[in-house]
Formats: sequence, C-alpha cells, structure tokens
Amino acid sequence: MNQSLLPGDTTPAGLAAALRDVILDVDGVAEVFPARPLWQNIAGAARSAVTGEPLPVVQVEFDGEAVDVLTRIGVSTALPAPAVARSVAAAIREHLGSRTATVRVQLVQVR
Amino acid sequence: MSASGDNFECGHSLEELSIYLDTGEFSDPGHLTECPECQSGLAALRRLAALGDELVSADIAAAGSGTDDWMQSILDNLRLELRPGRDIPVRPDTPGDILTETEGSISALIRSAADSLPGTAAGKCRLDGDVSTPGSPITVRVDVAVVFGHPLEERADALRRGIAATLARHTELNIAAIDVTVADVLEPGFPGPAAGPARPSESSEEKP
Ligand SMILES: [Zn+2]
Repeated sequence: MNQSLLPGDTTPAGLAAALRDVILDVDGVAEVFPARPLWQNIAGAARSAVTGEPLPVVQVEFDGEAVDVLTRIGVSTALPAPAVARSVAAAIREHLGSRTATVRVQLVQVR
Repeated sequence: MSASGDNFECGHSLEELSIYLDTGEFSDPGHLTECPECQSGLAALRRLAALGDELVSADIAAAGSGTDDWMQSILDNLRLELRPGRDIPVRPDTPGDILTETEGSISALIRSAADSLPGTAAGKCRLDGDVSTPGSPITVRVDVAVVFGHPLEERADALRRGIAATLARHTELNIAAIDVTVADVLEPGFPGPAAGPARPSESSEEKP
C-alpha cells in the first residue's frame, strides 16, 4: 500500500503514537508495552520527567528515509501467538506505506 | 543469592509483589501496568494464594519469603523465571523482519496451564535446549506440587497434553519431549508435604 505518511507521522513521537493505535487494532493484541524495559530507559525516564513527555510506547528511529520500529506486545490466547506477531508486522508495514523499514515485534506476554 | 540477584531485570522483586498483594502498596504502581514480568509474577502469586484455600493452615499469601520447602522451591523458580530470558524466533512473512517471543512469556504460559489444574501448583517450568535456533529440539521440564487426594498420574497426563497443545498453538518450537514431575504431594491441613516415607516422584516423558 503506497500512501503518503500522515503529517503526525513525520516525527518519531507522532509515528510511535499512531503505530500504537495501529498495533492495538490487530486481532489478538491485548496490550502494547513500552518499547524498552524501564531499567534500560533511566535516562529517558529522567528526561520525560523534566519535559513532561511520556515515554514512547513504540520505539521509532529514523535513519534518513528508513525507519526502524520495535514494539513489545502482549497477546491473548484467543488466536495463535505467532500469527498475531505476523499480523502486527504486516499492519506496521501497511501503515508505513512505501518507506524502507525494519520491523521488530517482540511478544512479551501470552495470556 | 545476592540481594540484587533476587530482583527481576526491572528492578522489582517477588517480595515486593507479595507485599503488594497483601497491602495494595507498591513503590511504583504505574510500573505494574507496563511490566509483563511483574504481571506474570502477580498472577502466579494469586494462583498460589488460591491453592492455599486447599491447604488450610498454610498461609501462602503471606509467605513472601516462603517458610516451607515446597513453597520455597516454587518461589525460587518464580524468581528465576520471571524475566524476559532468551528470544524465541517466530517466522516472519517479510524477510528481515524480526519476530520473537520471550522465553519468560512462554514459561509463564506453561506455569499458568499447570496452576489452572485443581489442587496443582507449578514449580520449575523450563525450556531445555537451544530455543533461539529454529527447529532445535526442546525438552519442556515442569515440576508440580499436587494436593494429596488428586490423582497424580491423570494429573501429569492431562498437564502434558495441555502443554503440548498450548505450545503447538502459541510457539514454533520443536518440542521433543514434555517431562512432568510431581515433585511434592501436599497434605491439606498441614503446611508441608505429606508425612511418611518419601513418595517416589511421578515422572513421565513422551513425544507430544
Ligand atoms: Zn517489573
């Protein structure tokens, strides 16, 4: 799908927020956990305490035209977990359109 | 075990979770909504507390540090397994995408299958083998404590079938064997294993 990115998608924070909604819409996804465990994110936590910005719910990094996306999700047992992981990756790619992307989906909870 | 070794990777501990269940107090309540390992720990502690209803005098909910050998063993295994652990690969549709399941999410799934059987609590829930290499043969090892009076052999068989079905549905692991051992038989009304000579462990292994 080749759609142009929405205006909010041009910043990592805007894209992360949009992707969180996209991921939560996928059947079988129960939860989107913050992209990094808190212990790896102390600098980020301190920064967000100062700026009042919440920590990114999905990790998004731009590298020129390419984008690197990492999400940590919890899934329900209603659907097979590997299929849900693939659906999440597909939904992220669809949202990103023709952009070059690296997509990482980590299932951290199945219940 | 050192003090830091008792903490999960998120910095919290089973003792804090146990206190939270008893008192509702936790230093960082927001963390509990965003930490899958702490959530798994709370779920396991709640199921242990429910088992306590069958064991009248065993105050399991309060036993954050564990007073009985079997309870200590369950809590020790929880401490070890409540962490992300290794990455278990999932085949991507788009080459280059990296899809994984944490080992901790799968051991928690196995633990919840064992705990959901009446009068049964999971101790060790391990995946032995190279889980990060697709197709590598994996042996699942599960220890359970069962309240006296529940049929042990049926219980082990049912659990093995349940785990086989769960792992076939929710992972792409090559499960070579599922080894369920009844490590403790618990006597209702007493806070420890059934009295008398040590019972032989009920161990069984088969291809799923
Ligand atoms: Zn935690």
